[in-house]
Amino acid sequence: MESDEEDFVFYGTPIEREDDLTSRKKKAIAEASGQLRTLPAWKQEVRDEEGRRRFHGAFTGGYSAGYYNTVGSKEGWAPRSFKSSRKNRAEFKEQNILNFLDEDEKAEMEGRLLGTTSQFDTFGFTAAEIARKQAEKEQKQRPSIIPGPAPDEIVVPATESVGVKLLLKMGWSRGRSIKDSHSDALYDARRQARRAFLAFSSDDPAVKITESEPIWGDSENFPEQLANDEQFSKSTPVFVLNPKEDLYGLGFDPYKHAPEFREMKRPRVSSMRGPGYSKNLSTRDSLFGLKSGKAAPGFGIGALEEHDAEDEDVYATGFEIEDAYVQEVEEPSTLSLENPKKKEQKNQGDLPGFRVASNSDYKMERFEPPLIPKDFVPHHEFSGPLDINCKGCEVTPPDVSPPQNGNLKLLIDGVANLVAKCGKLYEDLSREKNQTNPLFSFLSGGTGHDYYTRKLWEAQQKCNDQTSQQLDGKMPPSVQRLTAESRGKILGEKSLKKSAQDPSSSIASTDIQLQFNLTDTFTKSASFSELMDIEKPFKDDPAKQERFEQFLKEKYKGGLRSASSSLAGDMTESARAKERLSFEAAAEAIEKGRQGRGSKPSIASSMDFIPGGVMQFTSSEVERKKDPLVEDILSKKMYPKREEFQWRPSPLLCKRFDLIDPYMGKPPPAPRIRSKMDSLIFTSDSVKVNKVDGPVFSKKDITPLQQLTNDDMTKSFTENKTEGDVEVENIERPVDLYKAIFSDDSDDEGEDPSIKRVENPEKKAEVANTALSRLIAGDFLESLGKELGIEVPPDMPYPAQKSRNVASQKEIVNEDSKIDILKSENNGVMSSNHDIPYDQHISHEAGASKGDTIHGNMLESSNITTKGTGIIDSKPAKSNGNNIEDDKKIKTSLICRQDHGSSSEEERSRKGTNREKSEEYKKVKTPGTHRRDYSSSFSIEEERSRKHSRHHRRKRHDGGSDSASDDERDRYSSRSKGRRKGSSRSEKHSKHHKHRKLPSRSSRYYNDKDNSYSKREKKRRE
Amino acid sequence: MRVEDLPRKEVNVLKGHEGGVLAARFNGDGNYCLSCGKDRTIRLWNPHRGIHIKTYKSHAREVRDVHVTPDNSKLCSCGGDRQVFYWDVATGRVIRKFRGHDGEVNGVKFNEYSSVVVSAGYDQSLRAWDCRSHSTEPIQIIDTFADSVMSVSLTKTEIIGGSVDGTVRTFDIRIGREISDNLGQPVNCVSMSNDGNCILAGCLDSSLRLLDRSTGELLQEYKGHTNKSYKLDCCLTNTDAHVTGGSEDGFIYFWDLVDASVVSRFRAHTSVVTSVSYHPKENCMVTSSVDGTVRVWKT
Repeated sequence: MESDEEDFVFYGTPIEREDDLTSRKKKAIAEASGQLRTLPAWKQEVRDEEGRRRFHGAFTGGYSAGYYNTVGSKEGWAPRSFKSSRKNRAEFKEQNILNFLDEDEKAEMEGRLLGTTSQFDTFGFTAAEIARKQAEKEQKQRPSIIPGPAPDEIVVPATESVGVKLLLKMGWSRGRSIKDSHSDALYDARRQARRAFLAFSSDDPAVKITESEPIWGDSENFPEQLANDEQFSKSTPVFVLNPKEDLYGLGFDPYKHAPEFREMKRPRVSSMRGPGYSKNLSTRDSLFGLKSGKAAPGFGIGALEEHDAEDEDVYATGFEIEDAYVQEVEEPSTLSLENPKKKEQKNQGDLPGFRVASNSDYKMERFEPPLIPKDFVPHHEFSGPLDINCKGCEVTPPDVSPPQNGNLKLLIDGVANLVAKCGKLYEDLSREKNQTNPLFSFLSGGTGHDYYTRKLWEAQQKCNDQTSQQLDGKMPPSVQRLTAESRGKILGEKSLKKSAQDPSSSIASTDIQLQFNLTDTFTKSASFSELMDIEKPFKDDPAKQERFEQFLKEKYKGGLRSASSSLAGDMTESARAKERLSFEAAAEAIEKGRQGRGSKPSIASSMDFIPGGVMQFTSSEVERKKDPLVEDILSKKMYPKREEFQWRPSPLLCKRFDLIDPYMGKPPPAPRIRSKMDSLIFTSDSVKVNKVDGPVFSKKDITPLQQLTNDDMTKSFTENKTEGDVEVENIERPVDLYKAIFSDDSDDEGEDPSIKRVENPEKKAEVANTALSRLIAGDFLESLGKELGIEVPPDMPYPAQKSRNVASQKEIVNEDSKIDILKSENNGVMSSNHDIPYDQHISHEAGASKGDTIHGNMLESSNITTKGTGIIDSKPAKSNGNNIEDDKKIKTSLICRQDHGSSSEEERSRKGTNREKSEEYKKVKTPGTHRRDYSSSFSIEEERSRKHSRHHRRKRHDGGSDSASDDERDRYSSRSKGRRKGSSRSEKHSKHHKHRKLPSRSSRYYNDKDNSYSKREKKRRE
Repeated sequence: MRVEDLPRKEVNVLKGHEGGVLAARFNGDGNYCLSCGKDRTIRLWNPHRGIHIKTYKSHAREVRDVHVTPDNSKLCSCGGDRQVFYWDVATGRVIRKFRGHDGEVNGVKFNEYSSVVVSAGYDQSLRAWDCRSHSTEPIQIIDTFADSVMSVSLTKTEIIGGSVDGTVRTFDIRIGREISDNLGQPVNCVSMSNDGNCILAGCLDSSLRLLDRSTGELLQEYKGHTNKSYKLDCCLTNTDAHVTGGSEDGFIYFWDLVDASVVSRFRAHTSVVTSVSYHPKENCMVTSSVDGTVRVWKT
């Protein structure tokens, strides 16, 4: 509308219609025209533009003058300049009157402002100001190198005040003091007159006193007087010597013309401080003492006035009584004026009325030093004999290689340790006891005696070291005693085995193994496996048992390891590899069993080793599979579990639910503690499984095992055993290693997702670093192999769901290969159930992917691990039963990789059969298209692509990175990671949760793909 | 209730969804039903006459769950686009979008007063959204779950969530307690019995579990169907006499509530039965399936 009107041009005044003009408006117009102004003030009405009366002030009944509640202007009252002092405090200026003046007022004021003219500007301030202003003005006009006004210090006014000019004209020269010389003459005359008068009215000594004083007084007031008049003196202010102590007005001097009385005043003042003797002075020596005795201290009394009764000192009453205590007599009767002064100074700090005593009762007590008996010889004898030095010079037994028999060696070690600790007596005792036992022949010079003596010596050295260190810490351990071995012991290393020991070894692998074992010595503690020898899982086959023991020794002891072929030289490589796997499994089972026993002695490890076969390590899981009912009962016992926590609904939620906030007014609750332990500890899981299984089955295993242990243990061993046991308990897997590799799932999941997001990058980087260093330093594969040993046996017979879980949980490199073996061997059995191969594929893949990621790291970090990878990668080939040629290549580390292309091809083809079955299975399940998106069942395409990607991965192993497969690989890894994520998440709920992991995974699966991008990044960083 | 009274006769087939239907829900009085699916739409039907009434389109991904207020005026829905939508039923417009879930949203429900929408997400959280104010921030985030929350159910005073971590957690607003019932199996679906004393939890080990709410006791387990990888719904009949649920093989199962025997099973769909919803009063049931249909069953 408005825009329309703007287009037109109007001429003239539009005629307003009558009804438009309300009466109010009329009034407003009338007011505007000034009609109302004629009215008196109280009758005037204020109206707004609309003509409405402005009512203002309900109680006063008044009408506002225009702009109500304001200062009467349209803008209202606003401070001239409002500045928040919050931010710029420095800029906030103080107001002065000019701030409140209008311009015209200022102009008015300008003329009336007082100022000194330059003529009377004594100190030149005004001149300086003017000069400065002038300089500023000029500064603005001319360009200058120095921007801004010139500093004041530089621009000094060149004017002289009138006073200075006058003085100069009067003959004053600069630097000279200004003094009236005539005043002195007048003063002197007046003083002479006063002296004469006083001489009449007072005693003689008083006159003497006054005569001696005036000069001093004068010199105080007029210091210049003493100086030569001609002397130049700076006109600096006189230093005030006497602080003002009186109550006179400032500048008032009652003794102005009578300096004599000033001296009289002085003792008066001091009498206030020390009332004792000064009282005497005041009475005796005062000028007016004769007349009144108590005169006011000259307050308001002129020198020439008479003393009346009213002048008596009304305040100084109490002193008369105290006079009795004053030792007047002892004072010299005639006191010179200097004396009291001196006395004052001397006695300052003493209490008045007291004097320093001449003799004191207190005496410093001194004691005589004790008398040394005459027969004392200053020589200390220590209670214990220091026999270290004697021992050091003992002949060191030659270093002897330990006996071949591991048991014997252990025995000797143990006995030596004991003897060293308990003394020779023990040796004799055991020798006596085991006279007939051929094992203990080393005590009496039989086989291994040399080794025993050596060991004993070492142990004694060790003991001595400890005792000597306790006895005196100062004594440095002698260098000769610190042999390499003892040092190694101190550092917790294990002695390397003599390489001469292994007679027939494939030399190709020894150097690699050396590295292995070297790292082992640092990671393992010495007496780990001492018990391992005692448990004999392969007791049916003594040769194999021996090999197993050898294996254990290698596994846990480290040191230079004899090649595995030393004992089983006749075996083929493939058989040996299989055996090795079974050994590992058995070892883990033993260890697990022991751990289980450590906490629950009644439960025995449930090992059931079938010698000879491939399925040698059938552990408790087999039985578990057989016993679904038992498991069911167990699960029913465990679930549902009810827990209660505090939970705080937000107040708004309560409001919306129309409920009263239960936490109204209460402080916020502490965040719930989520223990990190359940996600961190890997071992607990396996142990738990064992515990749960324990009571259900394999009771029969208990007895033979325990018997075994009992049989093999001699008395001397028991102690060692317990020691070993304890140590075994303490040995943990390198947790941070796992954390490093699988950090994102292991410890993060328990936490809040948001926290996770924040922490992850740093943590991972840090952890990855430690992992890398560990990879280089430690034996990575070895530990993984141990992991494998723990986990594989439970998985094997229970592949459908378990295997995947464990694969995702433990990420074992060897796993896939193992499963391969299993599969290839047991195809006949397994194919009867279609589900199992299908699922096994999955688990297999999971394991493979994990292994691959690890491989990648290893290849980059070090080549220590080459042997391990070789073994692992070659397993599939082996499992295919290809040939021995392949197997031999395994040993030669890297070369074998080239075979994988072909081997994996074969593997794929073999899998093809399985896959077909699983496909069938799936077809029954669902139609393909929808399923893939929403649900998690693996579609055919995906599986294929996975296989594909796996193939590519292998290619990557072969040397080059395959960019084409990158995406798939990443996706896959992320997927497998997701799987892991879930599994670790529920680790805390022991085994039964594992069952649901499969479905859980699958129900969440569709998300994995979406998250894969972010996860992929993570993975890469790893 | 006799077995013959169970809704086993197909009355109508509601076709219209392209792709799988992920949920079908009766409204409060049972006169209408809503379905949502992978075609990113929500559809409103009259199941008794088999008429498609309206389609609600705004989701960017599949719609996983939908719920309607008791007064039929508002809808809420959620899905793969990580958002919870608050719809006006009549106009078909989105009133509000609640963003905040870090992952897909699996389930959504109104509270009794339709003032709060509670959603269950893959991000292991339950979130309560305010419909009254204009705030799009959640008024409460419950993140004590250890895994994806699959389903949510509300009473007057409680929020009940079922999660893949195997727990059914009941959050009692009135007393400020969280009660966690660990079933040991991933929970797909939680639904309340009509008397409010029990929770029926669908687990991924192909079993439904009936829990006593007050004690947390496992009252019964219902087995026979297949549910290993899909999110399947389950519910009790309106008389609480039977338990019903779909199966991944396209069957619908009816169990006796007390003795857990399979009273009836029949093939309802050609594919996975994703959702079942029982009429609040009559013997009527709607089921949805991945095959793209919603079927109405009556006696």
